Amino acid sequence: MGSQVLTSPVQERYAPPDGVLIQVDDLWKTYDMGGAIQVNALSGVSFEIRRGEYVAIMGPSGSGKSTLMNLIGCLDTPTRGQYWLNGKLVSELTDDELAYIRNKEIGFVFQTFNLLSRASALHNVELPLIYNGTPAVERLERARESLQRVDLGDRMDHKPNELSGGQRQRVAIARALVNNPSLLLADEPTGNLDSATGEEIMNLFDRLLAAGNTIVLVTHEHDIAARARRIIHVRDGRVARDEQVR
Amino acid sequence: MAAGTQAHSLTRAQGKTHGRSSFWVMAREAFWIAVEALRAHKLRSFLTLLGVVIATTTLIVVISVINGMNVYIADRIANLGANVFIVDRFNWANTSDEEWVKEQRRNKPILMTDYDYLKDSLEGYKAIGASAGMRTASPEIRYQNHTLYEVEISGETPSMIGMEQEQVGSGRYFTDAEYDHSALVCFVGQDLVDGFFANSDPLDKTIAIGGQPFRIVGVAKRIGKTLGQSQDDFVQMPLTTFHKLYASRPGVSIQIQAQNDHQMMELEDETRALMRARHHVPYKETDDFGINASATIMGLWQQLTGSIFAITIAIVAVFMVVGGIVIMNIMLASVTERTHEIGIRKSLGARRFDILMQFVIESGVMSGVGGIAGIVLAVVIAKLVDMVFTASVPVSAVVIGLGLSTAVGLFFGIYPASKAAKLDPIEALRTEA
Repeated sequence: MGSQVLTSPVQERYAPPDGVLIQVDDLWKTYDMGGAIQVNALSGVSFEIRRGEYVAIMGPSGSGKSTLMNLIGCLDTPTRGQYWLNGKLVSELTDDELAYIRNKEIGFVFQTFNLLSRASALHNVELPLIYNGTPAVERLERARESLQRVDLGDRMDHKPNELSGGQRQRVAIARALVNNPSLLLADEPTGNLDSATGEEIMNLFDRLLAAGNTIVLVTHEHDIAARARRIIHVRDGRVARDEQVR
Repeated sequence: MAAGTQAHSLTRAQGKTHGRSSFWVMAREAFWIAVEALRAHKLRSFLTLLGVVIATTTLIVVISVINGMNVYIADRIANLGANVFIVDRFNWANTSDEEWVKEQRRNKPILMTDYDYLKDSLEGYKAIGASAGMRTASPEIRYQNHTLYEVEISGETPSMIGMEQEQVGSGRYFTDAEYDHSALVCFVGQDLVDGFFANSDPLDKTIAIGGQPFRIVGVAKRIGKTLGQSQDDFVQMPLTTFHKLYASRPGVSIQIQAQNDHQMMELEDETRALMRARHHVPYKETDDFGINASATIMGLWQQLTGSIFAITIAIVAVFMVVGGIVIMNIMLASVTERTHEIGIRKSLGARRFDILMQFVIESGVMSGVGGIAGIVLAVVIAKLVDMVFTASVPVSAVVIGLGLSTAVGLFFGIYPASKAAKLDPIEALRTEA
């Protein structure tokens, strides 16, 4: 493993072609556990995701899939390797630049919804627009539109605790989409939902895919992963298998 | 390599535009978060802001009272008459206690002979007069079966009318002839009219002052109250009459009015030279009398308010710092409480600066609200004080109060806010809400 590092060639910095949304190139994430102990959460992951793809990243807990999701979601930076997102080399950006990328390029959907409990559905959906300085009038209009797209036009003034789990997740999806991101990144989106509601959410993803969105789904459930077109299996910090399923 | 660098610099440039446009949007969002947080935790906010409220209230009340007294002092000096200075036994604006003790021991009363001397020797003055008065231990005043106590009784030369704040309302002031003959006549203030003559004309009525019958020849116009004290409860009689009745009080004070502002100094110097010569004050010795002009009184007043103000600033500073630390403490707790929220906001694209702003503004709004509460409280207190004493809230004090309290919140919010801004988004998201 060590020798591979030493002999690796000079990093290539040519941007991937336009059809490629994500290009991950020899991505490493190493955690210092104190002293000389180091743990590799990712040890050289490489893959490409093209625009309009629907990809599931699968793996058991401890496989490194959460670390990979954090890197793809620009919440974290790799120890080594390159990550190109929508033509930008994001693996070398500062915290604030990453915040900008998260705002503009990525829509998150989390297992626990991660909505602000004190704010209405509408205000939750408005948040990403607040952080890119969208004026109030346009912001409200786009947030309403986005909520209508997930069939929550009549629940806009409700707070999260006044909504069902499925409705909450739909608010989160509306929030993820409001900025027209190039990537929809979902982390166990059905993990906290009963199977019928989960099915509803997965159907919504199908619709979003049909509308041209690129979706990356992180999950450990087979039936959920099976809804995607392609599954990347992660094990021990490496890509174990990359299969086209549909 | 070249293409990559280009792509990289492009994202940086975009990052900057993003920052500029979002500032006000973010500031408004932060403002409403702050208002919401205050509403959600009313009791906690109240306790948190108590220090800032007290500090702001103290500051504004003290400024208001001083301001009110400034108006009063200015009034009084205006009432002294233009370009008037007073030769008195004492210098009113003593700078030290020793000097005061020395004056008490050494200075002799100013006598009528001094007055006559100055009147004849000074040249070019517009008017000169003398007066002597007493309020404490003054005799009771009776009319039929009514009695008034603690009325200010004074003796005046006829020239004094026009040099002081009293003006003739009806009747007349006493004449030179009445003065020369120590006539038992008097000139009274409106309070006596209210007390004795509610339904009748006071002129030519006879009242008893210390058992002596005095005929009322004139009534003054109403002056009103200053510092809650009526300025209308006085009786004036010819100074000669006063000295005859109260022979144990030979001292007077002499008022001299100059023609104009320029002549003041000249006249003061001349008066000083004449008085020193008359009292045989040695060359190196200080005056054994006082020459008091409006400048002297103003100087004394400013010296007094200066020290009141210094003490106030010290107290307010302590309150503000304590209040600020309490706010900082609450903001630190708030950051911990809302770690998950910070994680969510960061995942949606909030930069460090956005989070920093959010908490600094929240802290500033919170203490600003405390400042507003303090201002409201101060205005109420000032109104109450004004009923019994004097106070008037200047706009500048309100502005300073609000500005200072907000600044305290902004300053003490910086540390908790920077802690929030530095949180790692992944760690923050992982924290349970």
